[in-house]
Amino acid sequence: MKQLLIATTLALAAAGALAAASVGQPAPAFTALDTAGKTVSLADFRGKHVVLEWVNPGCPFVQKHYNSANMQGTQKDAAAKGVVWLAVNSTSTDASDYKSPAAMAQWMQGQKAAASATLMDADGKLGRAYGARTTPHMYIIDPAGLLVYAGGIDNKATSNSADIATATNHVKVALTEALAGKTLSTPVTRPYGCSIKYSSGA
Amino acid sequence: MLHSLLILAALAWPALAAAAVPGAVVTTPQVRAELVAHAPEGVAAGKPAWLGLKIEHQPHWHTYWKNPGDSGLPTTLTWTLPAGVDVSDIEWPAPSRLPIGPLMNYGYEGTLLLPVALTVPAGFAAATLEVKLHAEWLVCKEVCIPESGDFALTLPAQATTASDAALFAAARAAMPRPLAASATAELKGGSLVLVVDGLPSTWQGRELVVFPETGGVIQHAIPPQSRWDGGRWQTTLQIDPQRSASPAHLPVVLSLPKGEGSVALMAAVAGNWPAVVAPPPLPALGEAPAATATPAAAPFSLGWALLLALAGGALLNLMPCVFPVLSLKVLALVSHGAHRRALLTSGLAYAIGVVASFVALAALLLVLRAGGEQLGWGFQLQSPAVLAVLASLFTLIGLNLAGVFELGSVLPSSWAAARARHPLVDSLLTGVLAVAVASPCTAPFMGASLGLAVTLPAPRALAVFAALGLGMALPMLAASAWPGLARALPRPGVWMAHFRTLMAFPMFATVVWLVWVLGQQSGIDGAAALLALLLALAFAAWALGSPALGRRARGGFGAAAVLLMAAALFCAVPALRHEATAAAAPAAGQRWQAWSAERVAQALAEGRPVFVDFTAAWCVTCQINKRALGDRAVLADFDARRVLLLRADWTRRDAAIAAELARLGRSGVPVYALYTPGAAAPLVLSEILGVDDLRTAIAAAPV
Repeated sequence: MKQLLIATTLALAAAGALAAASVGQPAPAFTALDTAGKTVSLADFRGKHVVLEWVNPGCPFVQKHYNSANMQGTQKDAAAKGVVWLAVNSTSTDASDYKSPAAMAQWMQGQKAAASATLMDADGKLGRAYGARTTPHMYIIDPAGLLVYAGGIDNKATSNSADIATATNHVKVALTEALAGKTLSTPVTRPYGCSIKYSSGA
Repeated sequence: MLHSLLILAALAWPALAAAAVPGAVVTTPQVRAELVAHAPEGVAAGKPAWLGLKIEHQPHWHTYWKNPGDSGLPTTLTWTLPAGVDVSDIEWPAPSRLPIGPLMNYGYEGTLLLPVALTVPAGFAAATLEVKLHAEWLVCKEVCIPESGDFALTLPAQATTASDAALFAAARAAMPRPLAASATAELKGGSLVLVVDGLPSTWQGRELVVFPETGGVIQHAIPPQSRWDGGRWQTTLQIDPQRSASPAHLPVVLSLPKGEGSVALMAAVAGNWPAVVAPPPLPALGEAPAATATPAAAPFSLGWALLLALAGGALLNLMPCVFPVLSLKVLALVSHGAHRRALLTSGLAYAIGVVASFVALAALLLVLRAGGEQLGWGFQLQSPAVLAVLASLFTLIGLNLAGVFELGSVLPSSWAAARARHPLVDSLLTGVLAVAVASPCTAPFMGASLGLAVTLPAPRALAVFAALGLGMALPMLAASAWPGLARALPRPGVWMAHFRTLMAFPMFATVVWLVWVLGQQSGIDGAAALLALLLALAFAAWALGSPALGRRARGGFGAAAVLLMAAALFCAVPALRHEATAAAAPAAGQRWQAWSAERVAQALAEGRPVFVDFTAAWCVTCQINKRALGDRAVLADFDARRVLLLRADWTRRDAAIAAELARLGRSGVPVYALYTPGAAAPLVLSEILGVDDLRTAIAAAPV
């Protein structure tokens, strides 16, 4: 057993330690800079529901949900319910589709996104702590700081925006249930999208 | 720039392709895709015939397997065929592992054929077979591009189609061979141990790669730990903490490196999947159930919380662990006699001391929480060192009250004078002391207020704690401000000396309790070490502070006391640090079992209600409530409903229990929760348990 543990630890280290957070457990605390250079901490939002959205404008799956205004609609829906929405870009600076904080802010503005803040995570610390794999990859944290949802934006794993109309938006459903005081019917789903281009360091 | 061009090209491509009449080939900057067929004996019922999509990737570009791994999408084929003509699902060749940073994908590079078996009906008599295909694939290098193509092909029914015979032969060779091997996948904690018997004998001792066909179950990026045990191969896969499926069977592909061969087999999963616990809902703490989480509701809920905190703080005075300190304060009040002004200022100082301590403790709690520590209210008494210091303090106070030593002779005379001249400082310190002892006793309402406070932004949380402190100081403040109340106190007299001595006993009782709590944490050795330390301390207090001793005697005894103290500290500290290993087990008893989130989930899945007693040895209210829990009628009700009784002992720090308390909206004990199968949220009972309330709650649970 001990050997197994050691082996697992070594393996994790070898894999660059994608230490995934678990649903039902406290969400990993973090402090990151937003596109304006302002410090944002998860702890600032205790008492509120928080949505984390992994985003990379270069990814076709992200474009699917932004060009169709599906993501913005989900963001506005959340904002109307007093939910905090943090978009996170974990793309490494050496990736071809890396966007500077200013370019990222401009893109979000151009998309009329309704995120509370867009966090820059070029070193991938935040993404690795949550085990984020894809763009988009969605997480919901409850007012007590517990992770209550991890997974995809919806249940149609395609790049075709026509599928959005018939898809079930997991985040909308989860937020409606959470705010109505119900146990989430689907706390974990399989995310789909592009790989997050993590920096090789860290 | 290059990237944008690629996307542009990809977006433009399907439009171009659609505009043209579909052919057998679609070329994009990343792949050349071709619809191919293999019908060596023509197209007729019972004759072997295959269709396939051949994808030639540009160097370093890849498409995905049926389980793409951590990201990506499998290629999809949608066929349009004449009525009665049918094709199988894609017969996927064994994939390769394609690592990307900390992630892992399963897919293909180079040349790939995705074949499907073609069947035509018995009466098929057409001269040709028209095949149309719409294919979608995601092709990635660093960036990903979703592409699609429409293909058409006309097959002669009577002639041979075999120009791609070699390609189909290679695809068949690369297809995992179904193997009727005996395979089990046993769940052990966070891992899945796959054991396979009956693999080809030529494979023995060789390195194998495992590909689970089901996604969202294991962590693909963690290399499995594999070994051969004779003819049996075993590998340990790590379960994904964000698992989205809990299958009873896990289909896997095992493959030799470099495409030397592969097998497909089905492993039966043994054991229970660890629960992906969906936490009970937590809409907004301290909020009326009907209210919605609109920002407008927030000020109301804060005001409500402040009011509850005030009431909870006042009730705290009635808690058993506050009484000794309260009695100290009564003593101090009496010494001020009838001077109303002195009384009032003393009461105010006490209130300030209480409020300041609450705010300081709350600030510390918030700082620790921000640091990610899974601590809750009452954490002060979860540390043996804090317990030892408190026990020493109460021993000294008790000895002082009993007259063993006088404070003036221990402290420098200037300090003692300062105390006498500044009764306000004395009152302030009494307030601080009261909070230090009272904090673990969470009175009714206080639990909810605390739960709210730790989830609020810092300034609001501090306000709630200040209200709590004010509530606790309120009775004392009222007594000092209200002349009637102050006058109702007895006049000073000889009885005060007796009263003072009498007050020593509650102090020692508190010490007994603290030693018991420490015993829960550090075992009998730790408790004995603390008692030895207290004995040395008592001796030192007497030797150095007794007014009855002469100078020479004091010098001699004093030196001995200092040595004794040093020896006691030297021996006691390691024993105090030692953690009792099995201290909690006998306390749990047979009826009560140790709590874990998994046990709750498991029992609920079996349809059994679960009652959880969140408790700690240092929580006096919890001990009092045990009487209600031990009531015969209550136990009979529990048995009648087959309620599983679990005890979550928070005497020592425990992150899992702290997390569960947070989920229930609390940050301290006692908490009593009744979980019933099918209910959205557990029923949380009053913190002062009554037999009737308990029986009513149990009766409401389904049989």
